[in-house]
Amino acid sequence: MRNERTLNTRALTYLLAAGALVALTALAFAVGRYPVSIGEILSLMASKITGSANTLPANVETVVMQVRGPRVLAALVVGAALAAAGTAYQGMFRNPLVSPDILGVSTGAALGAVLAIFFSQGILVIQVFAFAGGLAAVGLVYWIGSRLRGHDPLLALVLTGVVIGTLLGSVIALLKYLADPYNQLPAITYWLLGSLAAIAPRDLGAAAPLALAGLAPMLLLRWRMNLLALPDDEARALGVDTRKLRTLVVAAATLMTAAAVAVSGIIGWVGLLIPHAARLLVGPDFGRLLPLAMLLGAAFLLGVDTLCRTVATIEVPPGVLTALIGTPFFLWLFALARRSW
Amino acid sequence: MRLSLFLLIFISGYCIGQTAVTDASGREIRPPAKVERVYAAGPPASLLVFAIAPDKLTGWTRAMRPNEAEFFPERYANLPELGRLTGRGNTANVEVVLNAKTDLIVDVGSTGPTLASLASQVQEQTRIPYALFDGRIESTPATLRALGRLMGNEREAERLAAWYEDELSQLRQRIAKVTVHPLVYYGRSASGLQTGGKGSINVEALEVLGARNAAAEARPGLVTVSFEQVLLWNPEVILTTDPNFWSSVWADPRWRAVRAVEQKRVYLSPHLPFGWFDFPPGANRLLGLWWAGKLLYPQAFDVELRAKVSEFHRLFYRREPTAAQLDALLGEPGVLPK
Amino acid sequence: MPAESKNLVVLKVESLAFGFPGRTIGRDVSFSLAAGEAMCVLGPNGGGKTTLFRTILGLLEPHGGSIALDGVPLGSLSRSEVARRIGYVPQGHSAYFAFTVLDFVLMGRTAHLGVFSAPGRKDRELAARVLDSLGIAHLAQRPVTEISGGERQLALVARALAQEPGLLVLDEPTASLDFGNQVRVLEKILALAASGISILFATHDPDHAFLTSQRVLLLAEGRALEIGAPAEVIRPDSLQRLYGVSVEVLPLAGGRHTCLPALR
Repeated sequence: MRNERTLNTRALTYLLAAGALVALTALAFAVGRYPVSIGEILSLMASKITGSANTLPANVETVVMQVRGPRVLAALVVGAALAAAGTAYQGMFRNPLVSPDILGVSTGAALGAVLAIFFSQGILVIQVFAFAGGLAAVGLVYWIGSRLRGHDPLLALVLTGVVIGTLLGSVIALLKYLADPYNQLPAITYWLLGSLAAIAPRDLGAAAPLALAGLAPMLLLRWRMNLLALPDDEARALGVDTRKLRTLVVAAATLMTAAAVAVSGIIGWVGLLIPHAARLLVGPDFGRLLPLAMLLGAAFLLGVDTLCRTVATIEVPPGVLTALIGTPFFLWLFALARRSW
Repeated sequence: MRLSLFLLIFISGYCIGQTAVTDASGREIRPPAKVERVYAAGPPASLLVFAIAPDKLTGWTRAMRPNEAEFFPERYANLPELGRLTGRGNTANVEVVLNAKTDLIVDVGSTGPTLASLASQVQEQTRIPYALFDGRIESTPATLRALGRLMGNEREAERLAAWYEDELSQLRQRIAKVTVHPLVYYGRSASGLQTGGKGSINVEALEVLGARNAAAEARPGLVTVSFEQVLLWNPEVILTTDPNFWSSVWADPRWRAVRAVEQKRVYLSPHLPFGWFDFPPGANRLLGLWWAGKLLYPQAFDVELRAKVSEFHRLFYRREPTAAQLDALLGEPGVLPK
Repeated sequence: MPAESKNLVVLKVESLAFGFPGRTIGRDVSFSLAAGEAMCVLGPNGGGKTTLFRTILGLLEPHGGSIALDGVPLGSLSRSEVARRIGYVPQGHSAYFAFTVLDFVLMGRTAHLGVFSAPGRKDRELAARVLDSLGIAHLAQRPVTEISGGERQLALVARALAQEPGLLVLDEPTASLDFGNQVRVLEKILALAASGISILFATHDPDHAFLTSQRVLLLAEGRALEIGAPAEVIRPDSLQRLYGVSVEVLPLAGGRHTCLPALR
């Protein structure tokens, strides 16, 4: 039946990934600009679990529960969401160079956020606009793409995504041009660079359920999603309504990505590199690939964000580090792996 | 015969106007004999040109919104919008500048090599002299005088420069009496996590006041910091220019842990018609110095802000603010302690 | 499932007109296929074989006429139901992803699974049996991207068989295969027909029809020229009409025939 050795290697891979994630999370809680000792963290956790009072200084509780905690968890959620969306799209478009933004969700979210900043709105409005912008952009792309009859449906989607993405990008450029250079333009620039610095518990409370809502259909349909890797005719002949499945995959991936981008700004490379790396390790079966991609994505972004917030007094944009760290790591993995993607 | 006469007059006219002046970037500027129309390339320049000789200003870089226009005499508030020429992002069309029959282009701000070469380029293109002046707060009197000389309005400029000098000297006297310097954090943007490091133009007012900038250890320029870093610094006073941030800080459980929020010492800078603190980075920041000084050093700065604001507006905006306008400016939530 | 009675009509096509949206390329095709019967569709490239098959599979809308599967109109069946009755072996397959051959064959089980289910132990056992019956059990763990063209063709057949269909539709199953693999595939077609599965396959080689089929349909420019037993239908004049070349049909021992080009 199944190759015993492959089973064990795979199990080992998952175990290692999960272990790395747990270790990184513990490390992330332990380090930060504000000095908090491991003992303080442990006693705080203990008091939270048992519901008893603690004698720690108020600031320590604020740092761990209000600042660092939500930020660490948000990094996990955003990393996992971007990786899952990238995995789904790479399978659906049968192309390893596809990122979650191929249908324009990040550009749409960026336009929403830039508009809100341009009109001097507060954080909540910026996030809501970003989320709505991401959904609207993909909705538009999908609506136009599916009306283009007589073409390969995937090609129509990709081309429409590129065109709309460029259009939205030019509107963003125009807004940057018209923005007040002293006040709004820096705010716009920073948002576009992406950051988890401003994460509040409320942000996590909004993003996590939305990402989960997008993840649920993907997990439930993980076997059928494998069939999207086949040519359309074959998948349909095997009994899959490809149009419905694709719509669902796009909706789920967009929901996850829009929720992530709304709270973190644009963080690139996670959605592109991580699914690829995971596929090199466990193969293309979506049921095995998705959990590993999420583990790796969460661990990767958490590692990067922890560096971003501890390496200097000022914050480093995570998008810069994801590219700097991710690319060589990926090349190394690619050179090592023996299987094709 | 007529041709040579024409050439003679032309050349002599050209020579008469050429008293070369060295601007703050070290470039030689040859203004025409009479400067009637001046294009100000950015808001700090607009402010000074308007203050010295409002009739010579060809237009504003951005059209005035109604809530800004009410602080200026109407005929000046409605001057045309001409766009910015240098600095971060040009929106001006050089042809528009030419079309406005400009005698002189002026910019106040940085005088470094990049902007100097840009100015030289525009000057060559348009054959209009382009002068750069230092925009630092403490250089304002010198800039006013140089600008006045260039525009042919020495008397007006001297009046303003002398007044500004006196104000700066009053400030210094009061600063010398300060014994307690609280730790200040300047939080920009809706999150409040953007700030200026030591030497950054954004916190120039703080540095003039001799205040202790919490973010002094960060590199010069605009930076983003993490919340943990702010908590570590634990500033005693927070100044901000973002109303969204100011109103959200009170209910946010993270900010409540900061001393400044606990002690209710978080203040929002007024922003009409030109902001008082940080931007635009021009002479308007004088009001911000008095305001911040009063908030940081209440004992040493027992001044009546209304009088200061009135006088500045009268001199620089050429219109005395009404009592209602002063109430609105100073009464906006967050500007002053309750 | 393969029909029990040999007389049951598995596929009935009546006056079928077929083509692409806006362009009809074939008309008046009628035939019926009984359980365990193998029918070959013979014709030149561009003659409409693939389009006809895609219409029968429900991948293209018919432009006229009717198609019935096990007596039920095709239009009234869901994709899943169609997939449980017809297995499709397409022509050639470029593998994008490195699924293992076993996972690849398991994809055929999709029509038998619930929407949210993944294959279970029974499915795996069935897939393994199918691989074994095709002689490629040793390839189960190899990535589909790393096997030969012939092995991949057999994997495609295996995947279609995993659907447990009553009808197998193969589009030029021996194209790009070497001689040995061609023979193996043809043997398999014979064996499957004998086990009660109906076979409909397209080919351009008349000898395949002679070797495997009870009936042949000659399809050129979307029109069914003739339909009947191979010995009756495949003649020098009908092939001349079909391909525009001269051939000789030679009888062999045991009542069999073969086709040979009459080269000038």
